[in-house]
Amino acid sequence: MAEDVLVVDSLVRRFGDLTAVDGVSFRIAPGETYGLLGPNGAGKTTTISMIAGLIAADAGSVTVAGEAMTPRTTEPKRHLGLVPQELAIYPDLTGRENLMLFGRLQGLTGAGLKQRVGHVLELIGLADRAKDRSKEYSGGMKRRLNIGIGLLNRPTLLILDEPTVGVDPQSRNAILESVEALSVEGMAVLYTTHYMEEAERLCDRIGIIDSGRLQATGTRDELIRLTGGVDTIRLGGSGDLVGAAEELRQIPGVERVDAERRSATLTVKDAPALVAQVVGTAAARGVTLSDVEISRPDLESVFLHLTGKGLRD
Amino acid sequence: MRQLLVLTASDLVQRVRDKSVIIFALVVPLALMSVFNLVFGDADSLELERVTVAISAPPNDELARVLTDVVRDLDGAGELDVTVTEVDEATGRQQVEDGDAAIALLVPEGFGEAARTGRGVTVEAVRGDEAGVEADVVLSVVDGLLGEFASGAVTARAALAEGVSHRDIGALVEQATQGGPAYELARGEASDEQLDAGAALVAGQAGLFLLFTVSFGVTGLLLDRETGTLARLRSMPIRGGLIVASKALVSFILGVVATGVLLTAGSLLFDADFGSVPAVAALVLCVSAAGTSLMFLVVRIARTSEQASIMTSIFALVLGIGGGAFFPVSAAGPFAGLLDLNPVAALLRGLGITSGGGGLADIGVPLGIMLGFAAVMLVASRLVPERGALR
Repeated sequence: MAEDVLVVDSLVRRFGDLTAVDGVSFRIAPGETYGLLGPNGAGKTTTISMIAGLIAADAGSVTVAGEAMTPRTTEPKRHLGLVPQELAIYPDLTGRENLMLFGRLQGLTGAGLKQRVGHVLELIGLADRAKDRSKEYSGGMKRRLNIGIGLLNRPTLLILDEPTVGVDPQSRNAILESVEALSVEGMAVLYTTHYMEEAERLCDRIGIIDSGRLQATGTRDELIRLTGGVDTIRLGGSGDLVGAAEELRQIPGVERVDAERRSATLTVKDAPALVAQVVGTAAARGVTLSDVEISRPDLESVFLHLTGKGLRD
Repeated sequence: MRQLLVLTASDLVQRVRDKSVIIFALVVPLALMSVFNLVFGDADSLELERVTVAISAPPNDELARVLTDVVRDLDGAGELDVTVTEVDEATGRQQVEDGDAAIALLVPEGFGEAARTGRGVTVEAVRGDEAGVEADVVLSVVDGLLGEFASGAVTARAALAEGVSHRDIGALVEQATQGGPAYELARGEASDEQLDAGAALVAGQAGLFLLFTVSFGVTGLLLDRETGTLARLRSMPIRGGLIVASKALVSFILGVVATGVLLTAGSLLFDADFGSVPAVAALVLCVSAAGTSLMFLVVRIARTSEQASIMTSIFALVLGIGGGAFFPVSAAGPFAGLLDLNPVAALLRGLGITSGGGGLADIGVPLGIMLGFAAVMLVASRLVPERGALR
């Protein structure tokens, strides 16, 4: 089994009386996309700052590709590609000049540098605008350049800190597709977001972070099981829904039915498997259904379950 | 080293493309130099106007006659144009009152006798409201003459008291009134440190705007912090000190180039002569180092680039005005010495020495002040807590 690209062990960082990161530990394997999901102020960016060697940890350790990372070390940074949340590009340099600058600082030189810059320009779709100053780019183009710089050195570990904040839906989708492609190429990706849908779509494993502590970590399904794993089926319509409730309760897998005159909510183990039988039973009791809605627990539910508050609170 | 040059070159390219540095470093100071030169350019060439002096002196008083003749003889001396009218006391006062005379000298009865015997006597000088510097020149000459009369009388009385012969007394009195050979005023360094008005304006503006110019390098750290590029730079496999060093180098290069261009342009456009090129170059290098070091303190104190910009303006104006960028400044009291520790003042002082013919060996003090200032600022910037550290 390949060695983990990133090992984060019991990281702690305090700012005065505030403990911004409190004992965070997780690992990322090669080719794995790991998501840090949490609301603003949860400690995601501080965690990333320690992982990227921007600030020192008060306790704990970070190992990137087998090498200890601190603000003073340079070698582990050769394995790293960082895409900060802000647009970390120079507006008075062209797209190509931005890439050339950061490529040189990464240690690339000569023909290899030019070739890599050309490749990344193609990858992020800016080859035809490479000679324009980046301040003339649209917001989406700047975001793509921001990501492209992080890819220049073919990093073993790519860190993306909320890369879709303030991005239009079209560019956002393009960014998500790019990240999916990177993990396919074998790159380990650490992706922070407060968008549940992005974490669900991209990440092999997810760590839920709040108030500086990692509340839970695992695959999506593993996390959802923490909530008890129950689905809901909501029925709306006319007829004797209250009368039908008793028969609906008899269906195996249905745990609870709350019925009113025009609607009923069923708590079930596996909604997709039971929905046909539920609809048939209601129709047999003369209920004319106008609305059937299935709800499955998602990461929002998990976050709510673990912290008692919503992701966007 | 290669990475330092990469960072510095990239920063310089950006500063040049962002026109602000060119505007602040060159366009504004050159424009101000031109304006000030138009307004104050002739300050050194003072034109004296004709002055009328009304003298009321008792007839048959030889010393009073001497005084009148001395004032009359001022006409044509240097660029003075003096007209003397001999009047009685009341007319003299009236002429001053009416503006017909700039000053009236009212010599009392018994003036000569009193002067000879060393008794106290008062010559009244009535100065008109409109009297200018020419009247002051006349008054200072009269004051000096009366001093000579007094010293002659004192010398004669002292000699008589000591039993000196009458013949020797005459020689002693003449020596006393003409000034003794034991004292001689020599032109020292202080007089050599004065720039003429045009050169002072050029040097002052160059010194003042140097402080704005160097801010474009070091305070770029704050802008990098705000935009996230500092985080990205620090995630690169380079030593953190290189990032700071590159900003310092950018500040220093901008300072040297801008000050060099301004002094050269000032020499060509406004006939300012700063003398020895190597000595001036040393001053420019040292004042740029001093300005750059100040920016490190600004970066530590300021949380944002906007705050840094405000602080830079405050420091630049305080040091610029205190250093004499707009007009000569003198101070007294316990803080007077602090003015001399200002790099802008040191630049002007150094350029004054070089313009007066001084070379590298003569500008040790100004260079020392600038380098000392740089060292103090660097130490202070290490001691002050950083207010906008990365999180």
